[in-house]
Amino acid sequence: MKDALLTNAQKLEPPAETAIREFENKWEQIAAEGTRLLMARPDLEKLVGTGNEQMAEDNNRNFPRFMLSLFSDYQPAVFVETVLWVFRAYRSHGFQTTYWAANLNIWVDLLQKKLSADAWQQIYPFYNWLIVNIPKFTAITDADLADSSSNRPDHLHGAGTQK
Amino acid sequence: MITGALYQQYLTLLLDGNRRACAQIVQQLLEEDIEIQTLYADLFQKSLYEVGRLWEFNQISVAKEHLVTAITEGLLNLVYPRLFEKTSSDSQNEKKVVISCAANEFHQVGGKMVADIFELNGWDSQFLGANTPVDHMLAHIQDEKPDLVGLSVSVYFNMPALKSGLAAIRGNFLHLDIMVGGQAFNWGGTEIIKQYAGTAYVPSLDRLTSLIAA
Repeated sequence: MKDALLTNAQKLEPPAETAIREFENKWEQIAAEGTRLLMARPDLEKLVGTGNEQMAEDNNRNFPRFMLSLFSDYQPAVFVETVLWVFRAYRSHGFQTTYWAANLNIWVDLLQKKLSADAWQQIYPFYNWLIVNIPKFTAITDADLADSSSNRPDHLHGAGTQK
Repeated sequence: MITGALYQQYLTLLLDGNRRACAQIVQQLLEEDIEIQTLYADLFQKSLYEVGRLWEFNQISVAKEHLVTAITEGLLNLVYPRLFEKTSSDSQNEKKVVISCAANEFHQVGGKMVADIFELNGWDSQFLGANTPVDHMLAHIQDEKPDLVGLSVSVYFNMPALKSGLAAIRGNFLHLDIMVGGQAFNWGGTEIIKQYAGTAYVPSLDRLTSLIAA
């Protein structure tokens, strides 16, 4: 299944320099607005888990910084592996898979509003790719999380919270 | 040599925050004349990677991850008498290296270990620490005139900061050798380095040792 993700990711065309610069100039404003909308959702706690609001805010700042790095030198393997890491780590900490659908839809709406039509057309496929592949990322990380819980060392009681 | 049992004992003590017992293990290994790069790679680095994995799976808290990092940085200090003793007994090579984390990069243990490995191999190494602003790094390079500069980056979203640093160094010091490394390259990104002449990617402490020796 990961191979299929990599194959699909290889088909994405990196945005042109002008679109990347536009994203670079606007992501902070978009992230702030997106975080405000996410935090206002009545089902926030259900999406991110109890006490994970700060982690969700941090993710909304780190996510566009990662996308900017990715757009500048597109590496499909980096895209796939990083998203898998995010799914593993955030699901382990209590985020539900519905969080990604909700948050990515917020991002897509805001990007469409704030970016020029040209930049939007080049950047949207990456976000759409994430949305349509949520079930694959979920299925792959289901197995990782099951392995992890069965291998949990006895001395690691009092486990963690957010990063 | 670090046995599996000793590593597990150390990891358990580290996760319990037992700095004193961890220090005793390290001291014992030093008295047994363990190779310093083995100590770094097979005890410090391996345990830090495992702690990162444990955070990923929510088996430890951020507080514990930070505690482990702080303990490990303290344990590096235990190694220094041995490191400088080794350095002084071996031939100094008169070369100087400046190691720094990229701007916005706050994970510094790896860079610190790299600086130590250079010192161990007879270099005069200077470690500038985390999140070094580019202009300050350039001024330091201008003052110190090193033979080599190393940049460390741990998270992929700091690649633009790394690239800015590389461009600034290359733009100001045309013939200065540069090396880069860090966890940010785990899944790719080494192609980025090829955009900067005279810049090499070093994937591990072992590879670093080989390169220094070559």
